Formats: sequence, structure tokens, C-alpha cells
Amino acid sequence: MKKTTILSILTVVVISLTSITASAQKLVSSTTHFKFYSTTPAEDIEANNYKAVGTIETSTGDLVFSVPMQSFEFEKALMQEHFNSKKFLDTKANPKAKLVGKITDISKVNFTKDGSYPVNVTGNLTINGVTNAINEKATISVKSGKISLMSKLNVTLADYEVAFKKGKPSTNIAKTVEVTVHANY
Amino acid sequence: MTTKKKILKIALILIGVGILIGGSVGYYMFNKPARDVQNTKTDFSYNASEIINEYLTDSQMANDKYLAENGESKVLEITGIASEISEDFNNQKVILLKAEGDKAGVSCTFTPETNANTQNIKIGDKITIKGVIRSGASFDEDLEMYENVIIEKSDIVSNK
Repeated sequence: MKKTTILSILTVVVISLTSITASAQKLVSSTTHFKFYSTTPAEDIEANNYKAVGTIETSTGDLVFSVPMQSFEFEKALMQEHFNSKKFLDTKANPKAKLVGKITDISKVNFTKDGSYPVNVTGNLTINGVTNAINEKATISVKSGKISLMSKLNVTLADYEVAFKKGKPSTNIAKTVEVTVHANY
Repeated sequence: MTTKKKILKIALILIGVGILIGGSVGYYMFNKPARDVQNTKTDFSYNASEIINEYLTDSQMANDKYLAENGESKVLEITGIASEISEDFNNQKVILLKAEGDKAGVSCTFTPETNANTQNIKIGDKITIKGVIRSGASFDEDLEMYENVIIEKSDIVSNK
């Protein structure tokens, strides 16, 4: 009798522990796409990056992205050189951009049920070694167990000390660029 | 009079040629194609573990050695065991070279032109890949994991 009680208590403990570990799950994404898009009357500039890595802690909503800056590919080689150079993003000194944030309403997302869940992300974005607070909207999609995140954020270059004061870049690059994020977890 | 005319004529021709050369150089610079990594001389050849160890020991020093300010960083040949084969959002093949027991690996992305060369690669194969380094390996405290060395514009050098 005693043995069965202990056994059943143990079983309950084991089951609850398993479910706790299951809910405190860290999703990892290495299939990502970051797109940088700048539009001015002079020209539209686009760059794509497929090498970022990201995580979501499903229990707390902690969200992280690490973006290798030299992986941004431009159509024109000269633009890519400008982008990487010391004057602009100084990618040798700051090889990675980083977003460390929190999905504040993660409880709205049911990771086991198909659907599209709009969420809020707040946190810190570090580009070019400069950190700024951000507050953005994102969408988490769940489809047959596959989880993905999409977001579009506007980045004001001057906030990150990326300034084009004169010459062609100042007229051909928008002051605020659009960054589109897509990640499969 | 005639000498003046002659000088003027020569000067005009020279200016014309100058504008033409300047213009074409400018046009070429503006439309300069992206670097052809596969036809660039290899700067360093390593085993995957060697470059991982170098980065995990001193990432600052390794960045100084491998990353270029204009983004045209060092061209590397990395030999290692294919431990993961996947595809990115741009339909490019990605092969992770990682030795058993290593904390991080070398993630190599191919191109639409070189994708097909990965066809016969299987997990566990020992291969050598050539490509350009984009960033190094390190432990990221926010991700709570090790990040891989990133190589892009890859192609297979040898598959034995």
C-alpha cells in the first residue's frame, strides 16, 4: 500500500517536471531572412541576409537575434563596400547586430494550436555598437507544429550613429530604413 | 594662329578623352560586380576545429586577422565533417562542418551556381569547402549558445 502511494507520488512529480521542462522551451532558428530596404526619389536599395540566428524562450517570451553584418548582400558591390566601411556600419569593429527583447504578450500565443498571433516586442537593438530601446509589432505563426516569426521595423540610421552627411549616400539612402524579419524555428 | 588652333584642338581632344575615361571608370566603379570569391586566391586553409579554437581563444584577434573593413574578408578553405545539411530562405544549401566534441562549427552557405555541387555530400563525409568568412564563432550570453563561424559564397574543393 505504502509502496503504491510513493510510486504514484513519484509518477506525479515526474510528469509535472516533464511538463515544466516542456513549457520552458527554447526555440532556435537558423533559417532566417533579414531584408534591409531603403527608398528615396533617387533610388531604391535592398540588401538581404540569410545568416542570422535567433531564439525564443516560449515560457518567458525572451527573444534574441544575432545578425552577422557582413552577410548583407547588395546588388551593387560598391554599395556593399560603403555599407561595411568605417564611415557607415563599421562591420569589422562591430561584426554583429543584436536584438535582445521580450515578447510582452507571449501568453496570447498557443504554440500547440495553428494560428497567426500578433505580438508586441520590446527590448534593445544594437547596431554599429550603439544600443537603442525598441518597441515593435511582430506576428508569430504556428502551422502543423512549425513556428515562425515575422516583423517589420523601421530603423532610423542617425539613432545608430550611421550618418550620411554629404555626397551621394546622403541623397540616395533614406534616413529611416525598413528592416523585414522572417525566421523559422 | 594656326599653332593656337592646333593647341586648342589637342586640348579639346585630351579633355574629351579624359571625360570618356573618367566617365567609364566611374560607371564601372558604380556597377562593379560583386567579388568572385571562388576565383579569389585562398588566404588560409584550416580544419574546422582549428578556426573554431582560434575564435574561442581570442575573437578580437581573429576578427582583426580575418575581417576586412570593406566587407571583402578573407577567403578560407575549411576541411571538416559535414554534420548538418540544410537549405536557407534563398534556396541556398548550407553545410555545417563540425567535429564531434567541438562547441561550434563552420556554417557554409552555397550559391545558386554551386548548390548542385553539394548533391552527393552526405552527413559524415569529410569535405573541404572554399568561401568568404563573414563572422566568427563565440559564446553568446543572450542566445545562451555558441555561434558558428559563417562562410558564404561557398563551393566544394574536395570530397574524399
